[in-house]
This record gives sequence, structure tokens and C-alpha cells, in this order.
Amino acid sequence: MTIQRSEKDLFLEISVYLTGFDEAELQGTGMVNTYYQAVLSNNTQPDVAYFFEMVATILQQNEGNEDALNKAISIHLMPASAYSGMAMNIINMWYTGNWGQNVVSGQAYIQGLIWDAAEAHPPGAKQPGYGSWAIPPL
Amino acid sequence: MKTDNYDVVVVGSGIAGAVIAKTLTNAGKKVLLLEAGLQAGIALDPEESYKTYQGYLETFYEAGAKVPNSPYPDLKDAPSINILDIVKLQKSNTPSTVGYLVQKGPVPFASDCFRGPGGTTLHWLGTTLRMLPNDFKMKTVYNQNVDWPLTYDELKPYYEMAELEIGVSGDVEEQKYPDIPKDFFGKDYVFPMEKIPQSYLDKEIAKKTDKLKVTLNRKEYELSCISTPQGRNSTPNEDYKYGSIVWDPSKKKLALKTQPKTYNPDGSLWDPYTGQRCEGNASCVPICPVQAKYNALKTLKKATLENLEVITQAVASKINTDDHSGEVTGIEYKIYKHKGSPEYTTATATGTIYVLAASAIENAKILLASNVGNTSDQVGRNLMDHLVLLTWGLTKEKIYPYRGPGSTTNIPTFRDGAFRSEHAAWISPLDNWGWSWPTFSPGSDVTNALNEGVFGKALRNRMNDLVTRQFLLHFEVEQSPDAGNRVTIDPQYLDAIKNYRPVISYGVSEYNLKAFEASKTVSDQIFAANGIEDHTVYNPVTDADYVTYKGQGYTFRGAGHIVGTHRMGFTKDDSVVDKNQRSWEHPNLYLVGCGNMPTLGTSNPTLTMTALTFQAAENILKQLEQ
Repeated sequence: MTIQRSEKDLFLEISVYLTGFDEAELQGTGMVNTYYQAVLSNNTQPDVAYFFEMVATILQQNEGNEDALNKAISIHLMPASAYSGMAMNIINMWYTGNWGQNVVSGQAYIQGLIWDAAEAHPPGAKQPGYGSWAIPPL
Repeated sequence: MKTDNYDVVVVGSGIAGAVIAKTLTNAGKKVLLLEAGLQAGIALDPEESYKTYQGYLETFYEAGAKVPNSPYPDLKDAPSINILDIVKLQKSNTPSTVGYLVQKGPVPFASDCFRGPGGTTLHWLGTTLRMLPNDFKMKTVYNQNVDWPLTYDELKPYYEMAELEIGVSGDVEEQKYPDIPKDFFGKDYVFPMEKIPQSYLDKEIAKKTDKLKVTLNRKEYELSCISTPQGRNSTPNEDYKYGSIVWDPSKKKLALKTQPKTYNPDGSLWDPYTGQRCEGNASCVPICPVQAKYNALKTLKKATLENLEVITQAVASKINTDDHSGEVTGIEYKIYKHKGSPEYTTATATGTIYVLAASAIENAKILLASNVGNTSDQVGRNLMDHLVLLTWGLTKEKIYPYRGPGSTTNIPTFRDGAFRSEHAAWISPLDNWGWSWPTFSPGSDVTNALNEGVFGKALRNRMNDLVTRQFLLHFEVEQSPDAGNRVTIDPQYLDAIKNYRPVISYGVSEYNLKAFEASKTVSDQIFAANGIEDHTVYNPVTDADYVTYKGQGYTFRGAGHIVGTHRMGFTKDDSVVDKNQRSWEHPNLYLVGCGNMPTLGTSNPTLTMTALTFQAAENILKQLEQ
């Protein structure tokens, strides 16, 4: 029996492949719900529906084969012409906390994944402590 | 404290105004302080100051462009300069009226400041280098610029006061600058706190840069990399002995008073135990979340509050004088009721002595609007800034930027030398924050990768590989005083409550352009020695402050060091204030702040300006007690 996954579940699952961060890291931001809502509020309803339809299809068709999945993402989701650039915008949101030029929220800025990718921290938050900058990141 | 008889009326609660207010009220004088910014920002009690500051922090988090003024209120009634308003000037858009400044060019003035309680110390970086002895006598030694009517030695005791007031962390032993005498610092002098640890990046770059021999104009120089003194909290230095700055009425002098206990770093306004150490937020500009970095409200909090009256949302607009005696009789100010309100009422503040501490540009504007103190025709002229040439590249190994205070090490080699007869001097801070300034990294790095279709683990790896190797070097060039670089006023350019907007004419002299050429030559040699792949781009189409010299283009940026608009000098014909920082024409009018500085040197001006302001406070006290 196949369990019908919700759009929000699909959002989290595809975000793992879009961002290169695993599910625990994404959940650890505390932003999954906020970002899913941001996807809904920044896109047209048809774009959202078609996008998640495609997401469901490519996740199902390429289950267990990451290379094939990445290829499918590259072809069907990543082009700027696909779903008004939704995949690129989702990745940018996870990395920077912005949807396009707009900051989703103060918390979104703080949770930007770019700072983890860079082995740093968001300026003005998650401070690593006195003198931590004098040695390589832990 | 309300009275009709203030000893001193001060305009502005930035570091200059706060130092005056604190020093004078501590000495028993009654001070009225006028502040243009919002009432909330002046709060010094724990609850209100915390609430206001957290509001600034949240605004910063939510800002799309995290520029220096992004956390702070921009008021229609007392607008601040915003660097986002700097646009490339062309025939079709000049003068540019975008934002607060009216920019006539030929290139736009590139720096901002904050008009509000605490002033620009809320977003300053916190570098606290002293100027060098030769900086005070450029005309005599190098036949360039002008001399100061003060020497380094005369200012030295006041530098020590400024270093206590700000709370400087640094290592005196490491402060080796070109051509300085042995007694540059006093015998056994130490800073209040140990040096802020230098970054990992600093140490990696220093391996091949410290003692590197570079050639410039056929002369060889040996570079050095030294720790930078700064106004942020570190470990107290056990050998530091001073505790306060006090007025000695018998000697008619300010003096540093020793204390038996160890120096205790000043924490945040809301909690003395928060901010006693820099915690590595890496956001000194625009905002230190824990207030480990000094800001002027800390000084204001040490004022004797029963001697201090503060009126906020009060924008000084005009100085009234007596035609016969030249004495100032009052300062008119406009009070707006709430943020953005175009409605205002006008009142006049009166006292014995008047002090303008509203920032270099605002001070000049008020003087011009009042037609006061300008016999020399120098008011508004000689506007200066450090012209920041940036060079950037990728190191071979990871250096892990975006951590720690903005800069913890500098190359002082070109701060002074015979070359100053030919081209301007500069200081080279090593930047700890990657390419964020010139390229808006790392956000732009994400965008670039996405535009190439990179996503997933490849994206994460690319960001890790790229952002951790970003190196940025500054060449902060001393701008020369130029009479044509100036602030003027024009009745057709007014703000919401009918005060003048500053009209700026601004350009770069050949003496400075030569320094850009020289800087790039040195940068190339540093990059080569370190195996750094140069990614510097100066874009003639998009960069607002793009200039050319001998066929090569350079882009400079503003340092936020706004200096020189009411210079101090030797006679009433060459300057706006005398060496006591008093108006030549108006015996009860003092001007304080960076506007008094005849030249800029290669140090960030706040420390020198604070030293000067202590000296001004002493002069005011002397005059009051005559």
C-alpha cells in the first residue's frame, strides 16, 4: 500500500536533494513549516500543484538512485523556466532565508544554511564565543 | 533637571556629545543635551534600553541589505545618510537627490553616519589606532596638505583618556608603526584590556606577508602584520591602572585617576555582565548584539544624571548670535511629535556655552544655515573620508572568514614615509568577513551557483570550498583636504521639517589616485607571495565611485570616516576653530567631532576625535571657571 504523502512531506523530502543537507539538518532549523508556507504564498496555486506533482513523480521514479534523481531534478526542476523558478527559489530560501530579494523573517536569516556550508555562523547570531575565530572552526 | 540656566547646551549624543555631557556633568556643570533622534533610543535604564536595542537587532535580521544603518530608524524629520542611496552620477541624474544627500559629484560621497542617540558608534567597527606624529605636520614634513595647530605630544595625554573611555583592547608592544619615536606610548603604558585575539585568517596570511619585501616606485619596503587595537571588550589587563577621568579644579586640567582594583570591562546598557567579552558575533558593523563593542550611550550612562537634561526629537536648526559681542545667544531647534510627523514646534535652548556635536556634516550645515562662524569661508569645506580600495581573491587553503570582529590585524607599513611627498599614505587592514563588502557574498555566491544549475551536495560543497577561501584586503587611503570637496546648503533642498539637506561636491585628487595605483602594486605582490588568485573587479559601468588614473580604473568605497568640514587651524582666516576647538568669532561656541580635524592620517578617526573632545571639555571647563 502506498502512503499518500502530503505536499509538506514532499517539500521536506525534495529539499534534502535540492540543498545537500539531510533531513535532520533541515528539521534542525525549525523552519520547515515556515518555508512551506512561504512557497505557498509566493507562488500561484497552479504552479505549486504542478511542481509537487512533478516532485512526487521524480521521487517515486528514482527512489534509491541518487544520480538518476539528481539528473531528473536538473532537467525538470532546476531551469528558471520550470514552475517560475520555484526550485531555485526554494534552495535560495534555505541557504539565505530570502525568497527572491525578500527576507522571509528574522529567524529565517539566522537559520540560513549558507553559514553552515561555509563553516561560519550568521553575522549577529549563533555567536561561537570569545576567541573562537583565532582557530579553525570546530 | 530643568533650569533656565544651563552652563552648556550640547547638540548631539554621539561620542563627542556624550563625552562633553559626561565630563561636564561629572564636574558639576548643568548640561542640556539636544538629540535629533527618537526618544526610545536614549533610554539608559535596563528595561527600556534592552527593549530598544532588541528592536534594532530584529530590524537588522529582517533587513534585505544589511548595510551599516540597517538596524536603526531612518527618520523623515532627521534623516540619516544611507549608502544604498549612492548612485553613479551621470549628466542626466546630477545632482542626484536620491536619499538624504544631494550629490553634485563629480563622484558621489560614499559614506554614511547615524543620526540618533549614540550616533554612529552604534555601527562603527571599533578600530582605535592613534594618529602618527607626522600626520600632524604634513605641510612641514612633506609639503602636502596642512599642519595641525596641535602636535602629537600635546594630544597624547588625551589619547590615554580616550582609550579608557572607549575601553581599548590591544597590545602596546606590538604597535610598531613607521617612523614613530620610542616614547610614542608613555613608559610602561598598557591598554585597559589585552589584545583581541587575531583571527586564524590573519595568522595564515601573516605567514607569508609579515616581513615580505615589496617594491614600490623602485624602493623596497618590508611589510609587517600587527594586531589592531580596538574598542571592544577582552580580558582585562592586570597592569592597567586607571579608573576614571576627573576634572581637577585647582590645576584646571582633566586627569586620569588611578584605581587599585583591576579594570572592569563595561558591559551592555541593560546588564553589566552581558558583553564583558567579545563573543564573536561577527556583526560589529552594523550591530553588536551583546554590546561588547563600545557605543556612546555607555559614556552617557556615566554622566551625572541630576546635572543633565536631555531633549530628544529635537533637531537643532539655527544658532542665534549677538551682533555686537559675537556671543551665541541661543540655539533654535525643531521638535517633532512622533516619527515621520511633518508637524513641529520651534524652541530655543539657552546656556552660557554652546557645543555643536552633531557630526561633521550636520555641524557644517547648522553653521551655514545660521551664517555663523564662517569668516574664513572654510565651513563645509575639506570634506574627507578614507578612500577604501579593496582587493580580493581566493587563497589556496581554507582560511575560514566570516568569523570574529571585522578586522584584527593590519599592515601599517605605508602609514608614513618619504613617499607622502608624492602620494597619499594608507593602512591595510586584513578583513575577516570574506568578500561580503565588495560582492555581497555569500548570498551572491549562492545566486551565482544556482544560475549555473548547481544544487544539492554539489552546491553545499561549492559553497564550502569557495566561501572558506575568500580573502579581502583594504587599502584605506588618506584623503587630502580639498577646498572643493564640500558641504553646502540650498533652499531648494529641504527635509520634511524644513531643515536643509546637505549638498555635497566631491572628487578625488591626483595625490590620492597615485596612492590607488601604488596600493594595487603592493596588493599584487602580497597576493603573489600568498598564492592568492585575484578576483578583484572594478566595474566602470556599475560602480558608483569608479575613477581612472593613467588608463587604469579603480573603485573606491567610503570608510564611514566623515572628517574635516570645520577645520581647526592657526588663524581666523585659515580655519573655523582655533586649537582650543572654539569658534574664532564666537567666544562661547565650541565645535567638536571629526569636523575639526585638518587632516585624516591613516587611523580610523574616532579615537583621535575622542581625544580632541576631552581636550575641548577641558577648555570649556576652564572657560566656565574663569
